[in-house]
Amino acid sequence: MNPLAQWAAYAASWDRLLSLIGIEVHWIILQYVLGFPLIILIALLIHYKTGNKHYLKLARTLTKAVGLVFAVGAATGTASEFGLVLLWPNLTEAAGRYIYFPLYAEIFAFLMEVVFVYLLVFGWDKLSPKARIAVALLALTGAWYSASMIVSVNSYMVAPTGIVAAYNPTTGTWKYAQGYPKVLLVVPNKIVAALNVGKLQSLGMEVVGKTGDAVIVLMPSKIVQRLAWEAWNNKYVKDSILLLVLNDAAKSNNALLNTPVKVIVDTILVRTVKQVGPYTVTFLSPVYPGSILHALGAALTVSGFTLLGAYALKLLTAKDEEYRKYAYTAFKFAVYFSLTAIVIQGLVFGHIMGEEIAHYNPEKLAAMEGTSNQILSLSRLTGADKMMPLIIYGNPNAKLPIYDQIPKNYCYLQPRPGLQDCRPPLIIHYIYYTKTGLAVLLGLDALLLLYYVYRGIEIPKLILEANLASPFIVHIVSFFGWATREIGRKPWTIYGIMTVDVAHTPNPAPPALVLLIALYFIALISALGVAVWKLIYVPSLKEEV
Amino acid sequence: MGVPEFFLAFAFGIHILMVNIGIALATIIPFLEWKARKLSDTRLLSNAKNLFKIYAATYGLAGVFGTAFTVFLLSYYPEFIGVAGAVTLYPFGIAILFITLHFFSIVTYWYGWDRFSTNTHLTIGALLAFSAYMIPFGFRSVFAFLNTPTGLLIKGSKLELDLMAALANPTFPPLYLKSIVGALIVGFLFVAAVYAYKKYKGELDDPAIEEELILKPVEIAAVLLVIQAFLGAWYIASLALAAPYKFNNIFAALGLRACGPSPAADYSWLFILKMVFVAAQFLAIIYVLSTAKNGVTATGIEAVKLAAASAALGLITGEYLNAFSQYPYFVAALPQIAAKIPEPWRTLLARALDLRNANILTMDPGLIAFTAVFLAALLAAALYFIYVVFFKGVAEK
Repeated sequence: MNPLAQWAAYAASWDRLLSLIGIEVHWIILQYVLGFPLIILIALLIHYKTGNKHYLKLARTLTKAVGLVFAVGAATGTASEFGLVLLWPNLTEAAGRYIYFPLYAEIFAFLMEVVFVYLLVFGWDKLSPKARIAVALLALTGAWYSASMIVSVNSYMVAPTGIVAAYNPTTGTWKYAQGYPKVLLVVPNKIVAALNVGKLQSLGMEVVGKTGDAVIVLMPSKIVQRLAWEAWNNKYVKDSILLLVLNDAAKSNNALLNTPVKVIVDTILVRTVKQVGPYTVTFLSPVYPGSILHALGAALTVSGFTLLGAYALKLLTAKDEEYRKYAYTAFKFAVYFSLTAIVIQGLVFGHIMGEEIAHYNPEKLAAMEGTSNQILSLSRLTGADKMMPLIIYGNPNAKLPIYDQIPKNYCYLQPRPGLQDCRPPLIIHYIYYTKTGLAVLLGLDALLLLYYVYRGIEIPKLILEANLASPFIVHIVSFFGWATREIGRKPWTIYGIMTVDVAHTPNPAPPALVLLIALYFIALISALGVAVWKLIYVPSLKEEV
Repeated sequence: MGVPEFFLAFAFGIHILMVNIGIALATIIPFLEWKARKLSDTRLLSNAKNLFKIYAATYGLAGVFGTAFTVFLLSYYPEFIGVAGAVTLYPFGIAILFITLHFFSIVTYWYGWDRFSTNTHLTIGALLAFSAYMIPFGFRSVFAFLNTPTGLLIKGSKLELDLMAALANPTFPPLYLKSIVGALIVGFLFVAAVYAYKKYKGELDDPAIEEELILKPVEIAAVLLVIQAFLGAWYIASLALAAPYKFNNIFAALGLRACGPSPAADYSWLFILKMVFVAAQFLAIIYVLSTAKNGVTATGIEAVKLAAASAALGLITGEYLNAFSQYPYFVAALPQIAAKIPEPWRTLLARALDLRNANILTMDPGLIAFTAVFLAALLAAALYFIYVVFFKGVAEK
């Protein structure tokens, strides 16, 4: 199997590529907006406690950097927002309709960020040390509040609240024959009255509860995604699979038969969201805790290693002795910070995330671990597959999901252009293992640097030079982490509910234009890199003398 | 007006005012820099740089309230966003690309001041101005589409847009040009008012700067105001032909009636109010220019401030008039074209393009209270920003 070709074969490959580049450009910047305020806050606190001016200088430098990247981040955020509307209008519509609250509440987080980030940038000299600490804390709160909202929406896309996965790790069996994965829905009684419930149960629907006006069910995702496709392709009930599960009275009801499927789907989804809670529905996604911790952990790790690389460069180039002392203090701080961040990220947050994926996205786990005979599996090659059951399930006798046992058709009743293969792309196996390997390398690097700075031994030039690469490597690690999460969800856009072809615009741009826009974003992020170099690094050289 | 419309109008009103000031400042500042460097005029150069601080603040506010507007629109009217997203790839795409370019120009122009070479910096300034004009080119073509959906093609279960036909929308050229000229009027009067305020506070003692940054902007605004009268008439005439429902809602009560749907509401009062603001601008400008033989007089300063305030209020009133006069339709021409739309699109568009069909999940008193509280905070923060940028800095000097 060619993993790259498999990935490209899902619907909307060009627009997926464009979204990947656009959102990654935004994420590259965003990580500093999430990470630097915490470093600024810690540096200001250390300065406040010890009076060490080096930490004040560090905080000031990072504040300038945040001011610069935030402005460009706001622009790329706006581009991402409009990009979602234009490339994935049906997904955007569904998000706006049913899970709007975090997006809505994020506006106020954006306000906090704008006000307090720029108050810190422009009001630095006018603020007292205590006020600076308070403003840095508020800037940090705004950034993390924003992340907590957006990540909740993404978590819902990864595992919608109430999803039941199709794998039993104790027996090592997939449960597709029983209709899994299943989606929690609350169906109003007026719709239930038109349905042949027995027929639906024979297709895998389970009744799990009742309210005064509705029935709570677990519906096979292949039925749910089909209804989503019909809804956004303007089908009527008379042309829908619903016709197969209507009772006799409903089949002769012309008004019902001429009702758009979208109206039926909307009624069910609105009732479901009302039952779960319009304000909490995304935060109750079972993968939310791990997702938000892992996202913040990534931002802190990236910020730490970027700092480490930047001050390694300063140590290599600085000539003024006083300035070297400052650079060494900042470098030492970066080593402690990076090591702490990567250890917690890998061993705690990553572990929580992994457990959640194992329980709620077993198909993705199978692809991540490469449990397939169709590719060269690195986990099998290294023997990692032997340890994984214990790490992931806490049980050495548990069994990893086998990719090759996933039916190609588990997610649909009928194939259609853009939805032929339901299995996630195996390319994420290589992406995930490359990410993990590079992360381990960075952890070892930080450990080695800790040895030098803790013992006060001069760091060899070669090691400092090698660390100039750490900001780039850490970005690759972070990008590959998101790529595993997002690419590994294919063919789903919202797992168990909406596939990529349904989310996609009916009027995509031609590939040449998509490539041009992608290049534009790459040029923009490159120009930002040059601007940071010229506006932050080059002036800092003058400060040495 | 319901709660969604109120929140949308509130966010849009502030956004559009700030954006208009921004378009003008993105033109004025690079021009002042070019002139100052050509004449080696350091005072003019430093004033250009000070104006850029104001520009950054207005742009920040425009960004926050613009984002608030789009998120409100998405939450209250998701079906409209779904339809608009599916057909407006190119017009919105133009706007997005230039928004990112504009942001980038702002950042590099600010941080690159005195760090980049003069030519490089002036080139970035030109980019700043050019991108400022191209953003409304994209957005106003969408607004024109919302007057009448020229270029919309219905192909089975799919909606498409013929871009060239959309750009040939009869309401687009006057709307775009009117928006640009309106932005320049507001912006020039805004700059004049900032410096008039400085003079009032006794912080402006250079007659050359007074001439350059109070009188010249007022003169330019006067010329633009005359041009705007013609553009306004052109836009009204285009509405009479392309969106008679909208035209009739404004002018039927004043005795003018276009061929098409009967008026459903009377917004003539809003039009009259806008005209009052235009008249106030005009009279104030005439007064300033006729009394400024030896510089701006004390009453002239008040007149400049009146002209700027009237321009700002006239701009907001005009935008509200343009939006409300097609209520309850997102597309003003919908009443006259609905019968020609094939099913199922007739039913789907009738639902998606009706402002009365707000998302039921957002119709919760708790959310309304939450929004009101946070919008109040948003406004307080905006005012604090204005205080720091416009007044605190001036007072410290």
